[in-house]
Amino acid sequence: MRFHRFASLIAGLSLMLAACGGQGQSQGPAASGSGSGEGEGQTGGTLRVGIGGSPDSLNPGLGLLSESFEIYELVYDTPISITAEGEYEDELATDWVVADDGVTWTVTLRDDVTFHDGEPLTASDLKFTLELYRDHEEFPYQSSYPDVFETIEVVSDTELTIVTSQPIGNFEYRMLFMYVLPEHIWSAVEDPTTFENAEMIGTGPFKLTDFSHNEFTQLAAFDGYHGGRPNIDEVIFQRIENPDARVTALTTGEIDLLGEFPVTAVPTLRNAENIEVFIADVAAGGSLTDIIFNVVEPANCPTDDPETADVDETGICSAHPAISDVQVRRALAMATNKQELIDVGEGGLATAGLGLVPVGLGDFYPSDLEDYPYDVAAAAQMLEDAGYLDSDGNGVRECRADQDCETLTFRLNYPSDSDTLPREAEVIAGQWAQVGVTLEIQGIDPDTLTSICCPAFDYDVIMWGWGSDPDPQFLLGVLLCSEVATGFSESGYCNPAYDALYEQQGVETDAQTRIEQIHEMQRIALEDVPYIIPYYSQTVVAYRTDTFTGWPPADPSLGLTDPSSLRVIQPAN
Amino acid sequence: MAPSGGGYVLRKVGWALVTVLVVITFNFLLFRVLPGDPAKAGGKDPRLNPATAAALTERFGLDKQVFLDLDGGNPLDTQYFAYLGALARGDLGESYVFRDRNVVDLLGEALVNTLWLVLPSQAMSIVLGVMLGLVAAWKRRTGVDVAALAFSLFMWSLPTFFLGIILLFVGANWFDLPTSGRVTIGGVAGAWWDNLWDIGRHLLLPTLTLTLVLLGEYMLIMRSSVLEVFSEDYILTARAKGLSTYRIIRDHALRNAMLPLVTLIALNLAFTVSGAIQVEAVFSWPGLGSLTVDAVDQRDYPVLQGAFLLIAVAVVLANLLADLVYGWLDPRVAGA
Repeated sequence: MRFHRFASLIAGLSLMLAACGGQGQSQGPAASGSGSGEGEGQTGGTLRVGIGGSPDSLNPGLGLLSESFEIYELVYDTPISITAEGEYEDELATDWVVADDGVTWTVTLRDDVTFHDGEPLTASDLKFTLELYRDHEEFPYQSSYPDVFETIEVVSDTELTIVTSQPIGNFEYRMLFMYVLPEHIWSAVEDPTTFENAEMIGTGPFKLTDFSHNEFTQLAAFDGYHGGRPNIDEVIFQRIENPDARVTALTTGEIDLLGEFPVTAVPTLRNAENIEVFIADVAAGGSLTDIIFNVVEPANCPTDDPETADVDETGICSAHPAISDVQVRRALAMATNKQELIDVGEGGLATAGLGLVPVGLGDFYPSDLEDYPYDVAAAAQMLEDAGYLDSDGNGVRECRADQDCETLTFRLNYPSDSDTLPREAEVIAGQWAQVGVTLEIQGIDPDTLTSICCPAFDYDVIMWGWGSDPDPQFLLGVLLCSEVATGFSESGYCNPAYDALYEQQGVETDAQTRIEQIHEMQRIALEDVPYIIPYYSQTVVAYRTDTFTGWPPADPSLGLTDPSSLRVIQPAN
Repeated sequence: MAPSGGGYVLRKVGWALVTVLVVITFNFLLFRVLPGDPAKAGGKDPRLNPATAAALTERFGLDKQVFLDLDGGNPLDTQYFAYLGALARGDLGESYVFRDRNVVDLLGEALVNTLWLVLPSQAMSIVLGVMLGLVAAWKRRTGVDVAALAFSLFMWSLPTFFLGIILLFVGANWFDLPTSGRVTIGGVAGAWWDNLWDIGRHLLLPTLTLTLVLLGEYMLIMRSSVLEVFSEDYILTARAKGLSTYRIIRDHALRNAMLPLVTLIALNLAFTVSGAIQVEAVFSWPGLGSLTVDAVDQRDYPVLQGAFLLIAVAVVLANLLADLVYGWLDPRVAGA
């Protein structure tokens, strides 16, 4: 699994602070305007953000990388957006209600929105956008959010009705990423799935002025923004591949904001002059690290039976027999010292994990569920009671007589492109060795890892990670029976009770009931331990204090390159 | 040239073409054999539903047979022949990652950036290396020789990445040089010489790094080549005739000592096309090396195939050139 950096994207989106004056080496063309309005808000300046990657596409339908979504959030508006507290709020839509039939939604839009080229935004643009995303399967992410929007009708310039194919409880969530495209430009495009969208005309607070693949993205404030022009004049996302060079660029003032740097640089940055290190839980999302057990049952092992569609690989299902014993998994959960993993892997900058729903998702996070305690003695006792004894005293427990194995020796794999997992795998091996379980560790590249994981299920234990959306619906789907054959279920877990709850929450319209259903699902998952979740990463950002001020200090945070941040920061003079 | 010179050229060119064709096929095969599916390159994500993966697979032609399609219909409707066909039209396909850009554009841009970096570095390191090697050989066994030798060995053995990082720290902290990129983004207000100065400032550290790293190799080869030539009989004759060392070098030794260097220079120039991967990584220089590394990471087959083809053709061409130049410089070779 890629740490799809969606969450860090949302997190990173909030800081667009205008740089005050010409910081760094060059005088940007927007150096004027700083220092104006003594005592009133300062305006002007160019904010420079250092990033390690680069957007993969300016076309919101095609983007896969978080760097792309960072830009979309600034250049486009969506009907509904989310606050750091997890509340949905208006962006382009002022009101949205569902009729008594549960499937007819009426959306009311603002009437004062213009695109960057001066054309007004109408309901027709929203209808066009939703249908465009929905009808093109080649759009990797965007096509699935509006998939339940069956019929969309324009009632007036500011009103729209949407009829969904079933009642849904997450209408707002589905609208969060519907970047509204200008119909007058996109309707003339022959194939939207190959359209470069080099001009990126949207309605957002910033407009695109220049872009170079793998180099930089340059945005300028949009004067006609319906929410008011941002204080700063320009934002530049600059790609600096090398992590050490990025840190140096911040300390020398070449850039003003840095969101990706190794945890080892944190002490250096804390000690540096005029630099603030900001750490917060990720709001409305987050990334988690997980330990996955191969629990697929032989009856569910994918076959190449032509009856079952979507299966192009036969499952191998080679899990160590002891892993299917829930007592073993529970014991290992108790033998895992999550704090040690946090300290080693993230320099202490993470929150202990519980289930697949990260702590940043607010009410969806089951804060009243109790995790397994870290208790090595109890873990060892559990294994003893379950019949796994170390009769020859060599530190490794043997299997039970009724199992087709010798000792509790498991394979552990992780993606070799991870910075932190190699070290963490070693730590886990040490922890589990204390209860008599040995791990054979091997890091392999992500694609190969995918091919042994699912739907082949040719592994014992995998360490990987996920990124979460503001709504837990998609991530919880990883434990469904129906996903075992498609390759999305990593663990092969199958529990009809879980699946039933999942179906219910998918159509539940009462928010509180839905939350309870989701909590119950996590309780079931915690009991059966197909996953152990060591931690949820925090957002760690560093910025210069001498160039811009007014950074929102919220915790949890949507991130500092989010519009909520970049619209409010001011040059510091 | 000897009468068989024409045949020499033809043979060399023929072999070059065959090599390129073998490289193309091997290149193509290599990426199909590796595990991993580019259509799922978006990573495991529940939202990347099977319908999308299927659509992408079809779009990239990955659902066709690899070499021969014997299931009825056109047996040549396979990935391999589709690739060859496109190649003949000068179409290297479109990137799997940047799905709205084609490979030729991507490679073209990256190549220009790489040339900006590598050509000056190569030129400087050749000139400096040759001069240094000559001086060291001339003044052999003196302090100058020892110093030059030590310097070159040190530079040649220093890891590029490490040198780059050191120079970056020193340059950024003490000399106010930029840490990354090709130009200052946001432009530099002013005349064209200001822009040139800006590019120059960005080019300084990467070029310095690359020059220093390549310098050592040229120096050492040149020095040993000159020393070897000095031990030849005709040099002894020249000395006996009373020629000064300077004239011996200028008129006799230099030309012959340069011969091994011709091959070295040609091959190194060819590898310049592959980009100085480590330097580009350290300084975020958006060249071919950077592009290749990213493509490997993201399983961007078309870009990789295109880049590998480019490098292979460049190396084959450079080799061919070296052979021809050598044949011209040293007539004994062409006649063989």
